[in-house]
Amino acid sequence: MDLQYYLQQLVNGICLGGMYALMSVGYSLVYSIMSFSNFAHGGVIMVGAYVGYFALTALNVPFWIAFLLCGVGSGILAIIIERLVYSPLRKRRAPSLYFIISAMGASIFLENFVIATIDGTPRNYPTLFSNSITIGSISLGVDSLLMIVVSAVSLLILMFIIQKTKIGLAIRACAYNEKAGTLMGINSSLVIFVVFLMGGVLAGFAGMLYGMRFIVKPTIGQVTNKSFVAAVFGGLGSLPGAIIGSLLLGIMEIFVASQNSMLRDLFVYALLILVLIIKPSGLMGKVVEDKA
Amino acid sequence: MRKSGKKLMSVALLCVMLVTLLAGCGGKKSETIKLGWMGSLTGDQAAYGTCESQTLKMLVEEKNAAGGILGKQIELICYDTKGDAQEAVNVAKRLCAQDKVCAIIGPNASGQCIAIQSVLDQYKVSDLSTVATNEKVTVQDGKLKEYNFRVCFLDPQQGKIAGTFVYDNLKFTKAAVLFDINDDYAKGLKDNFIKVFTGKGGTVVAEEAYTGGDTDFTAQLTKIKEAGPEIIFTPIFYQDFIMIHKQARTLGIDLPMLGGDGCASEVLFDAADAVDGSYVINHVSLVDPAGDDFRAKYASKWNGAKMELNGYMAHDAFLLWCAAVEKAGSDDPQAIAKAYCEVEVTGMAGRIKISAEDHNPVGKSGCVEQIDGKNKTYKFITYIAAD
Repeated sequence: MDLQYYLQQLVNGICLGGMYALMSVGYSLVYSIMSFSNFAHGGVIMVGAYVGYFALTALNVPFWIAFLLCGVGSGILAIIIERLVYSPLRKRRAPSLYFIISAMGASIFLENFVIATIDGTPRNYPTLFSNSITIGSISLGVDSLLMIVVSAVSLLILMFIIQKTKIGLAIRACAYNEKAGTLMGINSSLVIFVVFLMGGVLAGFAGMLYGMRFIVKPTIGQVTNKSFVAAVFGGLGSLPGAIIGSLLLGIMEIFVASQNSMLRDLFVYALLILVLIIKPSGLMGKVVEDKA
Repeated sequence: MRKSGKKLMSVALLCVMLVTLLAGCGGKKSETIKLGWMGSLTGDQAAYGTCESQTLKMLVEEKNAAGGILGKQIELICYDTKGDAQEAVNVAKRLCAQDKVCAIIGPNASGQCIAIQSVLDQYKVSDLSTVATNEKVTVQDGKLKEYNFRVCFLDPQQGKIAGTFVYDNLKFTKAAVLFDINDDYAKGLKDNFIKVFTGKGGTVVAEEAYTGGDTDFTAQLTKIKEAGPEIIFTPIFYQDFIMIHKQARTLGIDLPMLGGDGCASEVLFDAADAVDGSYVINHVSLVDPAGDDFRAKYASKWNGAKMELNGYMAHDAFLLWCAAVEKAGSDDPQAIAKAYCEVEVTGMAGRIKISAEDHNPVGKSGCVEQIDGKNKTYKFITYIAAD
């Protein structure tokens, strides 16, 4: 076991963590504005993976088009869910428990909707990038590289929107205090719309990357639970927290699995419980100002 | 409010019961011979079950067109087990108690076959499994299960075929194993492979496990790469087989892998580039010209569908069932169960003679095939005796 070996495992961990990051920012974004965990996010990711699959196999479009279609499809779906499920609850000022239950309902609905309309058979993406790049003795598949690059670029764009644009300012204001923001003339409906759109688009990207590397099936949504753990670990509501939490979780998971694969999930969920006990706000969710 | 709710509920339940009763009366009594089939039509192994049921439908249609059996038409009743052992038990009950079938063919997984034993014993109806390779399907704790039979070879034999092939045919001495630690099938194959392979003088340089449902195998594969094997033995099912190949290739691991009969599937060609050059053990050669007619018939009947291994095994099970019914001279479930050990047929996977001692077929052999990703087909390599 030399340095090369550990570097290779580190790269594996970053690949996995990068994908978790794309998924977990969706949880964090919604949490920062609406203070509830949007479990329907997993379903949106799953639908994104299916959009990519059918774009590639049925429509035969090139990779980039399929990738964009995934973003568009999942973005629209996220907004539809917001309008149909959360918006009525918001108008009634329902407690956040109602949102969480509805989110779970939406997630289970999406899963079964796909089983009923398409089917439950797992599907495999066609091989798009089978070659790999070798640096020293470290191998990095082109698909893994793509995963890291896409995750990094999308997350940077997201950070730019949040930090540097007017709508980003509005999102941050609402994350700080929605009522005060609304009083200052911020259209909070628009803010929520944009937040779900951004989360949905990233979910679509994540879904396609997941499908390319792994598999497409209706139960992908459950796999995304780990990215939710990552979001909590990093501090729900904090974008940098979600990203750093995801990367750390991916790397730790790979190193645990390389020691004993049985401990992998045990470790992930034990970590979740530990974080909730010791530091409920996560790694980076310490002060309210840090949200969004 | 509560009372009327209960009333409504009882009326609804009553309706359901009446409907089921009526449905039960619908079947005509002795004019047909009823054969039951169960297997996965949904879930991870859907491709297997679908092929089995479609093959049986095709064969039953043919047989009926040629006059049926014992002068009667065959009625085939198929149910989905969803790949779930509990559901298999429900389905078995339904076939035995409600449909009153004379025998059952399927299900396509050992776990489900083992689960339905008590139902079979209760109703004294036999089950003839297609590809359930676990030892416990027919004999458990040294006790023969009276109504469980199978037409395929067993896990220990499959592990032996794998070990023999890697050491004697490929002449490799260093192998790694990657398997699902939660799966009895995988563990059975792994143990027997290691026993035979190391017994011959080979070394297992890495033995890595994962938990069913995991999708990321990069940690284990990196470890395997470091250990420097010549081949990776993967006694798992085809979906994981595909994911492991994809991830291995991106990690720069170009080693061939060897999978058991759970890997052989047409679905592998979805990832043709990645699985190219790897081997699978099978019950029958999927490219044997002797099966050309059978495959062509199947494809024309089912919209060009590709024949899976399960189709061949369902075919053999059906042949054996027909022979047993004719030998028994009736559709009495117990007479058929008895006749299974008395008849002998030559099916797609060779001669089948069920031993009365353990209800397993004797003298079977396994076939090893290499995946040709470029042409999306299998290349026959060799037959290896299972006994």
